[in-house]
Amino acid sequence: MDSIGLIRDFLKDRLGVEPENVVSGAVLADLGVDSLMMLELMFEFEDRFGIKLSSDLKTPRTVGEMVTLMDGLYSQSKS
Amino acid sequence: MSQRRVAITGLGLVSPYGGNTDDFFTRLCAGQSAVGHLLTDDVPRPLSIPFVSCSGFDPDVALGKPLASMMDRFAQLGMAAAFEAWDNAGLARQADGESRDDWGVAWGTALGGTLAYEKGYRELWQQGRERLSPLTVILGMNNAANAHMSIQLGLGGVSMSHTVACASSAIAIGEAFRRVRSGEATIMLTGGSDVPQAYGVARAWEALRVMAPGDAETSAVACRPFSVDRRGLVLGEGGAALVLEDWEHAIARGARIHGEIVGYGTSCDHSHLVRPEAAGQVRALQLTLADAGLNPGEIDYVNAHGTATTEGDPVEITALKTVFGNHAERLAVSATKSMHGHSLGAAAAIEAIATVLALREQTVPPTAHLAQLDPACTGVDHVTTARTGQPLRAALSNSFAFGGSNAVLAFRAVVQ
Repeated sequence: MDSIGLIRDFLKDRLGVEPENVVSGAVLADLGVDSLMMLELMFEFEDRFGIKLSSDLKTPRTVGEMVTLMDGLYSQSKS
Repeated sequence: MSQRRVAITGLGLVSPYGGNTDDFFTRLCAGQSAVGHLLTDDVPRPLSIPFVSCSGFDPDVALGKPLASMMDRFAQLGMAAAFEAWDNAGLARQADGESRDDWGVAWGTALGGTLAYEKGYRELWQQGRERLSPLTVILGMNNAANAHMSIQLGLGGVSMSHTVACASSAIAIGEAFRRVRSGEATIMLTGGSDVPQAYGVARAWEALRVMAPGDAETSAVACRPFSVDRRGLVLGEGGAALVLEDWEHAIARGARIHGEIVGYGTSCDHSHLVRPEAAGQVRALQLTLADAGLNPGEIDYVNAHGTATTEGDPVEITALKTVFGNHAERLAVSATKSMHGHSLGAAAAIEAIATVLALREQTVPPTAHLAQLDPACTGVDHVTTARTGQPLRAALSNSFAFGGSNAVLAFRAVVQ
C-alpha cells in the first residue's frame, strides 16, 4: 500500500474520517490528528513499512507533507 | 464553613440489559438476571465463567470513533455512563456562561486499563512483536476515565481516581460528596467503571476459589447471595455515574433531584487481606449514620455488599445486626449483585444508583435466587421479591473490599 492509502485507512479506522477528505492540502489537525494520534500514525507507518523513524523528525502539518515525509523515508530505507 | 446539602441530580449507567437507567431498575425489581456465560477462545484454556457483559454497548456509537479510539474499554464504559448522567442532570456538555472551575470528577476503578496492558503483553509475548502502540500508556492509566470526563465536560476542578478494590466507587462517591458538602465543589461527577474480563485477571480470581461456577444453562442463577447453596461471586463489566450537586445550585436551575446523599463513613478491618471482619464493617456503618445524622430506626433499606461468597455474607449480616439491634428484624436488605454481578470498581456506583432509585420509586429491589436462606444469614428482613407499599425514608449502600477497606453511603428520599 502507498503512503496516502495508509493514511486514509488509518484516519478512517481511528477517527472515522472519510477518505475523500484526506487530500494533499488538508491540515492534519483539522482532520482530528493531535500529537498523540500523530505518534500512533507514525508507529503504524513504521510497523507497516518496517522502518524506524528518527525521533527528531519535523512533525508534518498537512497530509501532503506527511506523504512526502513517508515516501522519502521509505525510499531511503530501500536504497 | 457551613455545610451544604448535596442533591443527586444525574444518574447514568451502561446497562447489561441494554436499556437506560430506569429500565435497569425495572429489570432489577422484576428479579431478572443479567448474568450470562462468558466463553473465550483463549489458549491454552478458554475462560468459561458466569459473567455480566454489556454486550450491546458499542463505544463508536456511544462516544464517536475519535473519542472511543483514545480509550480502553473501562474508560469507554465510564464516559458513556458519565454522559448519560450529565444529560440526565440537564447540564450542557459545554460550559454555557457559568464557570466550571470548581466542578470536578472523582472516579472509582479497581483495575483501570488492564485490558490495554494485557493487549500489550499478548503482542510482545504471543505475537513476537518488539514494541507497543504509543497510546498504550494513556489507554492504560487508572485516571484515564476521569481525565477524559474533565476534558469532555470542561471541568476545571479536581480530577481523580480511587482504587480500593470492590469499594473503589463507594469511596469515590463519598469523597465527591464531601467536596460538595464542604462547598469546595459546586458539582462533582462521580461513579466507577471496570472490565474484569482480562484473561489474566479472570484467571487470578478463579484461583482464589471465590467465583461461582456456571455454564450456558446455569449462569443466570449462579450468583445467590445469602442462600444456603451459594457458590461464590460472579464478575461483570460495567460503568455507572452520578452527578452530585450543591442543593441550592440544583434548586436555582430547576433541576430534578432524584435523592439526597447525606452520609459517608469508611474504616479498615486492619486484620486480614481477604477475610472480612464484622467489627470493621460496624464502625463504617456507625460512622455513616453519625455523619448523616440518622438513627438506625430511620433506615428503611440496605443495599448489601452481598457478593455470595461463603465467608462474606454472614459477616455482613452480623455487622447489620450489631448496628441495627432490635430494628434489624424489620430492616429490609437485598443484594442486587445477584442480578448485575460484581463489577469491582463499578459495583458500588451501580448499587448507589439502585439505592437512590429504590428511594425515588419507593420500591425495594430483591435479592434474586434466594429460595433457601442460609441459617448463618438470618436476622434481617431479606427481600426476595420487589416490595412496594411501605414508605422508604432513608437507605444505606454497603461496600466492603479486599484489603479490609469498608465504605458505606447514606441517602434520603426526596419527595418527587
